[in-house]
Amino acid sequence: MRTHLLGLAAFVALGLAYPVLFPSALTIAITILLFVGWATAWDVLGGWAGQVSLGHAAFVGLGAYFVAIGVTEYGLAPWWSALLGMAVAAALAFAWGWLTFGLRGPYFTLSTIAFAEILRLVAINEGWLTGGATGVFIMTLPEPFGLDLFDRQTQYWLALGFAVLVIGIVVALSRGRFGYALRAVREDEDAAMAAGIDPKRTKLKAFMLSGALTALGGGLYGIVLSFLEPHVMFYLLLSVQIALTAIIGGRGTIWGPAAGAMVLIGSGEVFRTTFAEANLLIYGVLILVIVLFAPRGLVGEATRRAIRRRYAKRAQS
Amino acid sequence: MLDLAIFIQNLANGLLIGGVYALIGVGLTLVFGVMRTINFAHGDFVVLGMYGAVLFDLVFGFDPYLSLLIALPVAFVVGMVVERAILAPIADAPAESSLLATLGLSLIIGNLLLLTFGGEPRSVQVPYASDTVRIGEVNLSVVLLAAGAATTAMIGALYWFLERTERGRAVRATAENRLGAELVGIDTRRVQSFVFGMGTALAVTAGVTLIPLLFATPTFTGAIFTLKAFVVTVLGGLGRVGAAIGGGLLLGVVEVLGASYFLSEYRDAYGLLAFLLVLLLRPEGLFGKTVKRV
Repeated sequence: MRTHLLGLAAFVALGLAYPVLFPSALTIAITILLFVGWATAWDVLGGWAGQVSLGHAAFVGLGAYFVAIGVTEYGLAPWWSALLGMAVAAALAFAWGWLTFGLRGPYFTLSTIAFAEILRLVAINEGWLTGGATGVFIMTLPEPFGLDLFDRQTQYWLALGFAVLVIGIVVALSRGRFGYALRAVREDEDAAMAAGIDPKRTKLKAFMLSGALTALGGGLYGIVLSFLEPHVMFYLLLSVQIALTAIIGGRGTIWGPAAGAMVLIGSGEVFRTTFAEANLLIYGVLILVIVLFAPRGLVGEATRRAIRRRYAKRAQS
Repeated sequence: MLDLAIFIQNLANGLLIGGVYALIGVGLTLVFGVMRTINFAHGDFVVLGMYGAVLFDLVFGFDPYLSLLIALPVAFVVGMVVERAILAPIADAPAESSLLATLGLSLIIGNLLLLTFGGEPRSVQVPYASDTVRIGEVNLSVVLLAAGAATTAMIGALYWFLERTERGRAVRATAENRLGAELVGIDTRRVQSFVFGMGTALAVTAGVTLIPLLFATPTFTGAIFTLKAFVVTVLGGLGRVGAAIGGGLLLGVVEVLGASYFLSEYRDAYGLLAFLLVLLLRPEGLFGKTVKRV
């Protein structure tokens, strides 16, 4: 616990120093921070509870569209509509999980794809609600405390806050009763049940938390892009990207998804110049490498090695 | 008013396009039945077939169907190599590993196609693209009929192979009980490579038959076909060849009829909704046997 709090403090320090050191490269940092938050939120369900979702773009889209439509149609301030989006995301996650958590293994994963895809089709075709395939522009935003929400600097602080919030929640979870329940369910549902844990309830809570946090990041993403298209917001490849970021970094570890986001989005931006729009190639190659040679992910394998070395030393002395 | 001729025409079109879906689904279900692998790259193999035909058209300028002479053996070998290099080493890992590995493969294929051919949609113009055959009141497009004939031939050949040959028997035995198959002397690892090669070849064939009808784009088309293949196989029940054919025909008919009698914008959603309903209500598939789970 103490090491994780120290890690969180280091992360915040790094986040505070970044805009001073690289004031011109804020956009990429915002993208990285959003993915840190999304991948960590995904991991609550995918890593800690062991339910692989390939539909988290649905929550991103939900959060973004709530903020955008709230501001353009109803004049609702983005923080209220983001809260509303989170609540709806949690409700949707509840309904979805309630229907599908009876399914084990790959069937749940398949159902999440279909779920996000249906939401995307609704967003494209219900133009009266979402602006259809052409999308929604966010033209004006309120200025809380004189802060300009269109300013990259402000958005950076918000993204940092989002990432720190999500990681903080996971740090708190890791030592709490709920965190242990999640891991018990992941390892063996029947044994967890025997220990008095309700697997379905536990997975539902994880799904709702994961979905609500992802939607919060989605609302922020909507403000950052200030232009929303169904093809971007509910995109299957965004779901895939979120899931793979967490898995490559290390499922079920606190810092794995964050590390994955920094490595993958960072290198993705570098490769963008050479590979243009084929920047997901690196995800494909890396996930193969991870599955074949390091199934615990980058951080998972690193901690395992460190722990082994420590025990080896202790055994020698 | 419901016009009977139009209804029959829609039904026929649905069955013909459903045949191609069946061909895609059969490959996926065969691989799942034998290897217990959910192949996320299956749709990308279909797209690979489409681009193979595009390349064939650019280089030789012959009919896409002739490209099958090269595409089929190449696809078969590629599939075997992929299985040997990527899937065989993780055969004993949790089921998720192979799902993630094929997802990675799908991203690699899609993005390599994007780098080679660029992002704009591609197709092959055949001289008979707009020809139709008139049977009574019903007009059927020649391209669709050719696709239907090709899929019927492929599925027929597959049936003959599975039911009438020694190796086909080995495939069925491995699908039914891997340990039992090994006990009677079947090299199940070879069967698995072989089946993955076959699945890839079936997907590529479907891609070639589709290219005169549809445009291919490198990354998105693959995902759509993978999704359709899932829909088809889950409708029928994963792992059963006959059921995948039924599921494919059903999806084709549901899509075409749904699009012409309800909202056409939701064409892709009808299949997904049917898929979700089956997944929730009958995970063993519409034509699957109900199994009591312990």
